[in-house]
Amino acid sequence: MPAFTMQPNAVDCDVHVAPASVQDLFPYLSDYWRQYVTEAGVRLTDMAHAYPPAVTGPLPHSFAELAERYLEPAQPQVAVLNCVTGFETHRNPYFSAAVASAVNDWLREEFLGHDDRLRASLAVSAVSPDDAVAEIQRVGEDPRFLQVLLPARSDLPWGHKNNHAMFAAARERSLHVGLHAWGRPGKAPTPSGFTTTYLEDYVGNQPIAQAQLLSFVAEGVFERVPDLRVMLIENGFAWLPPLLWRFDKDWKGVWREVPWVTEPPSEYVRRHFAMTTAPAHIPDDPAAVDQLLEMLGGAGMLAYASDHPHEHGAGIQPLLAQLSDADRDAVLRGNAAELYGLSAPQAA
Amino acid sequence: MTQIDTAPETQAPATRAVELIDCDVHAQATDAMLAEHMGPSSRRMLERFGRSTPKVTDWYPRARNAGMRVDAWPNKPGHIWGSDPEMLREQLLDEFDVDYAILEVLSGQDCYDHPDLAADRNRAVNEWQLHTWLDFDPRLRATIAVAHEYPELGVAEIERRAEDERFVAVLLPASAAEPLGSPKYWPLYEAATACGRPVVIHTGGYVDHRGAGYPSFYLEYHVANGLVMQSQLAGMVAGGLFEAVPGLRVVLTESGLAWAAALRWSLDAAWEVMGQDHPRLRRRPSEYIDEHVWFTTQPIEEPADPQHLVAAIRQARLEHRLLFATDYPHWDFDSPAQALPRAIGPELRHAVRCGNALDLYGLPRERAIVNGG
Amino acid sequence: MRVVVGPVSEFPPGARRIVQAGVRSIGVFRVGERFYGIRNRCPHQGGPLCLGHMLGDAVADEPGRAHVSAEPLRIACPWHGWEYDLDSGQSFMGPGEAGVRSYGVGTAPGEALLAEIEAGSTQLRPGPYVAETFEVRVEDDYVVLDA
Repeated sequence: MPAFTMQPNAVDCDVHVAPASVQDLFPYLSDYWRQYVTEAGVRLTDMAHAYPPAVTGPLPHSFAELAERYLEPAQPQVAVLNCVTGFETHRNPYFSAAVASAVNDWLREEFLGHDDRLRASLAVSAVSPDDAVAEIQRVGEDPRFLQVLLPARSDLPWGHKNNHAMFAAARERSLHVGLHAWGRPGKAPTPSGFTTTYLEDYVGNQPIAQAQLLSFVAEGVFERVPDLRVMLIENGFAWLPPLLWRFDKDWKGVWREVPWVTEPPSEYVRRHFAMTTAPAHIPDDPAAVDQLLEMLGGAGMLAYASDHPHEHGAGIQPLLAQLSDADRDAVLRGNAAELYGLSAPQAA
Repeated sequence: MTQIDTAPETQAPATRAVELIDCDVHAQATDAMLAEHMGPSSRRMLERFGRSTPKVTDWYPRARNAGMRVDAWPNKPGHIWGSDPEMLREQLLDEFDVDYAILEVLSGQDCYDHPDLAADRNRAVNEWQLHTWLDFDPRLRATIAVAHEYPELGVAEIERRAEDERFVAVLLPASAAEPLGSPKYWPLYEAATACGRPVVIHTGGYVDHRGAGYPSFYLEYHVANGLVMQSQLAGMVAGGLFEAVPGLRVVLTESGLAWAAALRWSLDAAWEVMGQDHPRLRRRPSEYIDEHVWFTTQPIEEPADPQHLVAAIRQARLEHRLLFATDYPHWDFDSPAQALPRAIGPELRHAVRCGNALDLYGLPRERAIVNGG
Repeated sequence: MRVVVGPVSEFPPGARRIVQAGVRSIGVFRVGERFYGIRNRCPHQGGPLCLGHMLGDAVADEPGRAHVSAEPLRIACPWHGWEYDLDSGQSFMGPGEAGVRSYGVGTAPGEALLAEIEAGSTQLRPGPYVAETFEVRVEDDYVVLDA
């Protein structure tokens, strides 16, 4: 991993691990599901449609690999592990739930127990809110899980009332939500259908994440669950200011459709959302970076992530360089620490 | 006394310098108005079965005031918002001193009517513009409506209208059966460019909310109009549309403008990592956008600090690409008197209000004064 | 200036009139027994505010459950729908947001008005919905705007 993408001593909000094959999950699946997998030749794809070889290094499949390839060089204070294996699961809601449970057990056994710098997102079924609630209740007490992991690509926007019980259950276990780029393959990302190149699909994550943000606010999720926070992971962030200008303006005209949204949407967003810094997708020019920071209202919503082992090109450095020491510290550690309730991180 | 014969003075028609061009105005036809211009089998089919394609107001019905300005209802039998040229002239052209108004008639922007009906309907839209509007007021211009899902038929319609200079652009919806950069639609772009017309890509069409699923509320749907256009622009650039049709000019209409800078940064950053593997994407994406893409202003974003809007315009290099639009008679209409903040300064204001549109559409910079205005 | 809008008998509950007071266009509303006056110009983009819908508040108990409350009563601009309190002119978003000028409107008996008109302190200004000018009669009451 190129050194410039690693920030030592950071709270790293997006580090990827995945089982090497579905067989790695067998210790955590019932004999029925083991047979289900074996008999039909079910395989995991490592989310190859989202992370083809051109844009990723090897995924850590074990603690030893994570330690050698990431922990040693990166030296994080805290690293939040995201296993997006469950994003590619079948629509079989029962299998989806079984895989999510297996992933969480695998994370605890294979990673979280080995290094107390490690935290994780809690995997849930993306096709069955009931099962998501059950899984949150099963393992959510474990303080090493920080948030419920949801894919940005969904059949119904995540703010929909069908999902509200899941958010309430999350908060009961002191969990937030991590909304991570990508999702199930085979789902057209744009309103007019499939993208035909990886580049379009990759950039396509950002309008999708924005639509999810609109949903959380418009559906009143933060009125129902006032202490819920949502970390947008791997979706970019520079798109936020113009979206909020538009969202506020439109709300002023049509708020009666959603009278539970009692403040301008941007107020909810600033209170409840944060965004990881990889991909960065910011301008080169320092003056333009300054303008972007001003439009964002400062760096208070940004949370550093390496997104190991994914490659996004030019990173967050030009923005970090424009910040005061205190603000840089907040992006690298403080904002995430506050959101996740981590014990006070040590400054570099 | 010498008798002096004075020849009658011939008065040259008074002209004025153009100062304001409205690049997005919705004349709206009722079904009855369009039926007048349609063939008998289309009329019969419509009478007996109606249309197959749902209107957006059928599946997001709770638009603000049916999507319109409350005060734009004509109160004339048989008329609806935007169907009465006299009201439009009064409420828009004369009220705001508009020099040219470009009509985008959305009644034909449907994908799922069968080809005969789609072609006939769009032909009728253009006939209606011709007879009801273009002959009514010399300040009006039209856009060529086409059956875009059937490009051969669309090309025929473009060629049919090409000789009439008052049709200044070809009109497409911002969402269609395939992404707009798809080779399926290239014949339309080629035909438009061949007859010197830009392509207006207008918010609307059949929007299928596939990435994040269907939102529950019009509020989400309306804000997402900007997101739809972002996806389309990314697809057009990455799919090599501007390589395939080098002279193409597109006008992204009614989807906002302030999002352009962040999209450019994303596309350029992605291109650095993966662009060389995309053979149709030969240059930096923002270069294509610089050369081929225009934006209309409405619905203009209104940040608390107007300087931020100016910054967004400059970050996206839109100074010569931004075209003023009111979107009359829709509810989120931008007033020519008020919508542009003072912060943009006189030079940019002039470019946006008329300069850029004069350059793009090649309209005369002086126009005859009409009815004293 | 005080402006006589018209006879109370011709201004039933639910009625509204746009009147000119000097260069200003002002909307006069009657709701039940109360009268309101609002500048007919939206602070947002200058739209004809007083042509918009009059609405009570919509209050949600939780997402999906809401009721309408008669107060505060607001006027929604016919363009973008931004709302203003009929009584105070305050934006529905609160005092931090630009509001619209509101005016006092009440009633007065004809006898008193005739004296004021003669003295020049009150003017007769019918709105465009009144077909022709009217006379102030001693025995009637009139709607009066403090513009």
